[in-house]
Amino acid sequence: MNAFAAQPLPNPPTQNSKLLPALFQPFDVGQAVTVFHVGSALPETVDFFSSYRCKLHFVDVFSALPIVNDEEQPPSLLQQFQQLLHFPEHTRFDICLFWDLFNFLDSEAIRAFLAVLRPHLKRTSLAHAFSVHNSRIPQKNHYYYGVQQADTLSVRHRRATPPGYAPHSQRELMELLDCFRVDRSVLLPDSRLELLLLRS
Amino acid sequence: MIGPSIVIKGEVSGEEDLLIQGKVEGKISLNGNQVTVGESGEVRADIFAKTIQINGKVIGDITANEKVIISKSGNVHGNVVAPRVLLEDGAMFKGSIDMDPAGVGKATVAAPQAVPSAAPQIKPSGLDLKSA
Repeated sequence: MNAFAAQPLPNPPTQNSKLLPALFQPFDVGQAVTVFHVGSALPETVDFFSSYRCKLHFVDVFSALPIVNDEEQPPSLLQQFQQLLHFPEHTRFDICLFWDLFNFLDSEAIRAFLAVLRPHLKRTSLAHAFSVHNSRIPQKNHYYYGVQQADTLSVRHRRATPPGYAPHSQRELMELLDCFRVDRSVLLPDSRLELLLLRS
Repeated sequence: MIGPSIVIKGEVSGEEDLLIQGKVEGKISLNGNQVTVGESGEVRADIFAKTIQINGKVIGDITANEKVIISKSGNVHGNVVAPRVLLEDGAMFKGSIDMDPAGVGKATVAAPQAVPSAAPQIKPSGLDLKSA
């Protein structure tokens, strides 16, 4: 058996997305794309983006949770995110994938996260996120995602809920995401909300 | 092959395929060949090769002219540059993946060139070991 032969990709559960195709619409296959994916690198995501001339930056912020500010104990929130998101200086992202991230960061942490990310955004940057449309309804299941196709996400259950789950209301989140504006949103089952964000 | 009990600190270069089951710390340059880090392999080095398969642990940047495969037992902490990257389910990866052919070209030029081996048929001479 050839050790370098490609193994068939598994077929995890999937979820159709109405907004995901808008992320890829500006880019032709074979065009250079720089992507920031908050979360674990999954086989199908790498396989999907291999059809582009792609630079994928994976940062599993979830594995660093909880990220909170301790005024008496450094590092500060800003320093924590600077350590996590140490992108090369010239990096500018076309696409950001923030799935569920903001449900696990408090207001100060979101501001610090965006302060570190902002210099790496373009005027044309696009982002896709999952939030909640009712922050008072507890979410029973937590997931992590990959890109199966341009309109389909792979969905895997997290074995344990990451610490710090405290989702923001839609209005609060929109105010916090000061370098993005919501272009479109879609209500999903289980009180979840899908967001397509444009650079503001 | 670098066996499970072998520890190398320095630069490994040559013109034959390499299977690493032991520990390597430094730099691995086998630009025209295949490098496989076996399940027991532990590499703290940048790797340059034609194709690279990671079944063990690597801390360092990986640059391949053709393909990188990180298998389900693989654990990579570093940046990958290759036109084709395959991540198997269960693989652990922390870093960035650059599949832009232009970027691969630049990285390949920057990589040290393998020194032709005088006697490639003799395994030890295929490895240029420079102690750190």
